[in-house]
Amino acid sequence: MRKTALLLGSAFVALAGLAVTGPAGAQERSVVIKGFGAKSGVVRSFGVNSEAAMRAAAELINSQGGVKLGDGATGKIEVEFLDDRCTAEEGISVVRRIASGPTLVAIGPTCSNVAEPLFGVLQKKAGDASDSGLQFPIFTDVAIKGGLAKISEWAFRNVPSEAEMYTSLFSWVKQTKPDLKTIFAGVEENFAHSRATWYAVMKEAAPKAGLEVKGEAKWLLEDTNFAQQVREIKAAAPDILAIAAHPFTTCGVLKEMRRQGVKVKMLIGLTSSSSLETLQGCAREAEGIVIPTSFAPVNQAAEAAAAQAAKFNGSLDLHSAATYENMFILKKLMEEQGVLAKPDTVQADREKIRKGLAALKETGGLLGTSKRTDDREAVKPYLYVHAKDGKWVVLHNPVTN
Amino acid sequence: MDFYYSLAQIIGFHTLLGLSAYIVLQTGQVSLAQAGFFAIGAYVAGMLTVLAGWHLVPAMLVAGLGAALMACLVGFPALRVRGLMLVIATLAFGEAVRLFFFNFDYQIAKGEVKIGPLGGEGFRQIRWFPENGWTSLEVMLFVWTVVALVAGALWWNDRSRFGAVLRAVGEDEVAAQSVGINLTAVKVTAMTIGGFIAGLGGAIYAHYTTHIEHLNFNVLLATFAIAYPILGGLRSVFGTIVAAIFVQGFLVEGLRFLGDWRNLLFGALIVLAMNLRPHGLIDAATARRLARLFSREQWRGEQRRA
Amino acid sequence: MGFVDYVQAIIDGLLFGTTYSLIGIGFTLVFGVMQKINMSYAAGSLAGAYCGLVGPQLMGLPPWSVFPLSIAASGVIGYLIYLTCFRFIPLASPLATLMSTVGMLLLLDEIIVHSTAGMPQNYPAIYDGDPIEIGDFMLRADLVGVFLVCVVAMAVLLALLYRTRLGMATRAVAQQPVAAQLCGMRLQAVNGLTFVIAGLLGGVAGAMIGASVGMLSPLIAGPITVKGLIVTVIGGLGSIPGAIVAGLMVGAAENLFQALRNVTERDIYVMLLLFVFLVVRPGGLFSGRGHD
Repeated sequence: MRKTALLLGSAFVALAGLAVTGPAGAQERSVVIKGFGAKSGVVRSFGVNSEAAMRAAAELINSQGGVKLGDGATGKIEVEFLDDRCTAEEGISVVRRIASGPTLVAIGPTCSNVAEPLFGVLQKKAGDASDSGLQFPIFTDVAIKGGLAKISEWAFRNVPSEAEMYTSLFSWVKQTKPDLKTIFAGVEENFAHSRATWYAVMKEAAPKAGLEVKGEAKWLLEDTNFAQQVREIKAAAPDILAIAAHPFTTCGVLKEMRRQGVKVKMLIGLTSSSSLETLQGCAREAEGIVIPTSFAPVNQAAEAAAAQAAKFNGSLDLHSAATYENMFILKKLMEEQGVLAKPDTVQADREKIRKGLAALKETGGLLGTSKRTDDREAVKPYLYVHAKDGKWVVLHNPVTN
Repeated sequence: MDFYYSLAQIIGFHTLLGLSAYIVLQTGQVSLAQAGFFAIGAYVAGMLTVLAGWHLVPAMLVAGLGAALMACLVGFPALRVRGLMLVIATLAFGEAVRLFFFNFDYQIAKGEVKIGPLGGEGFRQIRWFPENGWTSLEVMLFVWTVVALVAGALWWNDRSRFGAVLRAVGEDEVAAQSVGINLTAVKVTAMTIGGFIAGLGGAIYAHYTTHIEHLNFNVLLATFAIAYPILGGLRSVFGTIVAAIFVQGFLVEGLRFLGDWRNLLFGALIVLAMNLRPHGLIDAATARRLARLFSREQWRGEQRRA
Repeated sequence: MGFVDYVQAIIDGLLFGTTYSLIGIGFTLVFGVMQKINMSYAAGSLAGAYCGLVGPQLMGLPPWSVFPLSIAASGVIGYLIYLTCFRFIPLASPLATLMSTVGMLLLLDEIIVHSTAGMPQNYPAIYDGDPIEIGDFMLRADLVGVFLVCVVAMAVLLALLYRTRLGMATRAVAQQPVAAQLCGMRLQAVNGLTFVIAGLLGGVAGAMIGASVGMLSPLIAGPITVKGLIVTVIGGLGSIPGAIVAGLMVGAAENLFQALRNVTERDIYVMLLLFVFLVVRPGGLFSGRGHD
């Protein structure tokens, strides 16, 4: 008995010694990047996919030699993903927790209603000594509500520009289907992102493309009865119905439309609804809905990335693909900026990353090059997908065509 | 360290929310309107500091008074009903307040951007603390000064004549009435004080998150308001503080290392806590023990002085 | 918007209101027997409906099998809620069971989220054909079916309560727990059974909500809990006919306000109306009991 204990003990000491001497001998340091988003509540799937994409990218980067640090050492990326329950309080708390450790940069959050308060907590103008806001770079992958990165110079996003996508979608529709003349919308009124997408994006873009806006039907995020709204759609009899809503109510409305026998010539959906959720909820009714998105596995790089993410039990969609891209953008940037990842250079490294991100004019991505704007947003390549036989299929790719 | 200061701020405004329900619960009333008063405090204080450029302290006081006024007005009709009816009546009122802010637009142009509450899209950039260069430590000290003042006042009140009247109404309304206590006056006063405290909490909340929207002030928040005093036990203000630390410090942040299990355990541990301690974490027996501890020390201190 | 539209809005609301009625009856039943409120009731019903999906999704059973499975699962969940949230907590502490059931509500919701990643799940309709048209008006056929199911479920419940020995025991415990015990009834057993019955009914409600929405999502647990509570108090605590009428009223009022005003203002008026109603008529529509 004592012998075993002794053996175990010495083995443990040996292992511990290895662990201490190992990295130091090879001049290897860990580069901590943390993700955060919702892993509980109705948007859990976003968090699960983002985490998988993040781990997938980290594994790939590490297996390909890691990050070359400023002093020639090798950096191994270490990731962790924290849950913010999609609430402002927890999001802020999580980021403050991350920021008090060795983490150099964070990727997240899922929800726009977390991103908006969170960016407000960050310092507004970098280097402004009178502003005691948090000085920590955040590179958002999912939260998509328009113009959020404007709030702070420490906030960056790699989310598609909805204005760009819908403007182009409408003009493509006008070109290819000139018989479609009118558009009507269904809006999820109490969800900031959905609202903004219709009122600030689609409603502005449609008339410019020559479509006549016939108004909108409104409902709430958690509504279950859509009889009246569908009747309004029926009365308006539009050629195109744009549904600015998340999968649950998108499906609810589509099901009610089928019950009441209301048909339109074309359905357009919200970017965020081009996910598995919509197909889980109502594959049959959603058949044919067209959605612009910034990701689909259309080329080799994208397919490989999707396969890599699948190894970590997540699927790559427009949100998690951005997480994946962010990791590679950050890797390249950290090498260019000579990040050191030493315990005493954490704040300096964060500053370098912030400067680096702010200076970026374009970034690589799975679908091609994205442009970066002056207010820290991305203009990503996109394509149009539509639901066909229970799957998302690419309808048109404006980049290659 | 920054993180712990920030966590302490969260616990701070949640404690205020809990204390606002605590005083109402002492009269035996379960009110789900506290989240509504919290929302009023948040919006009023945010508008005063952002749109009118006020200092936070007067803004908070006005926010508290606004919420108190609303609580007083709603108290008169609401307190005609009791028990579950009151729970639902106050829930209805709280939701109506939330939905009011959902429909509330009041924006003014400041430079090239418009600021102020914008209905469903919320009210952004309530950045009084960072704009004035407050560090997390300073904010935390400020928040806890407010909490200490409120908790101290309630603690003192528990020992005062009015506190006894509140508990008398809570224990047995009929008996209280028969010794000449004006039930309506007592209940409405408790509600008004509760509204004031919730308003202060909301004001801090708005400046903590920097962005508020109606969905933050939902039924769940109202449920938490009553959960703190109930979990804590209604015997002492310390119970509410302990419960806020238990929920926000332990269940939410402390269990984070458990990953996905944290979310599942959240509800399960509340169920377990109520099974093990149905009268709250600090129930009558614990409160008595604590009191004895304090008084013994006091006694010893007096001896030493003698 | 003309007169026809308003009437149509009310009809839509009335039909959808039947699902609110079912949830309200469950709340009221438990309240009637134990004088306690079970906040996790609606979440339990929803969880039952989710369990029903295991049949067609994982075991390859035909789509209709979700309905019996949902109902059975919900009965079991009802008993589990009784065990975890009521059985071991002293009867004299209503606030403790209020809190424990809130904890249970959060737990059930999170279990649903974890098992489905929060994604909405398709749920079969009870009838998938064309709506019924009467003159200018249109009735959703499946909701008429839901209404009939609701009526049958309530008839069975009332028969159970008033025509069987079991029901007599339940009512005896509700009216005079001490006297009932003196007559040799086992209080815990009767209470447990009440939760099973309420759970089964909740299963019907959960299944019918799933069928009429066409989907299940953890998103709806909150709203149906609130609606259920509202229906319970409007109907008068402990009153089953009250809950039925109140459910229909809430459904209709909701839709009427939406038609008259706007969806964003709809619930303000519903809530204010409820507030006024409670203040003016604290006992509810059919105030069976004086005490609270």
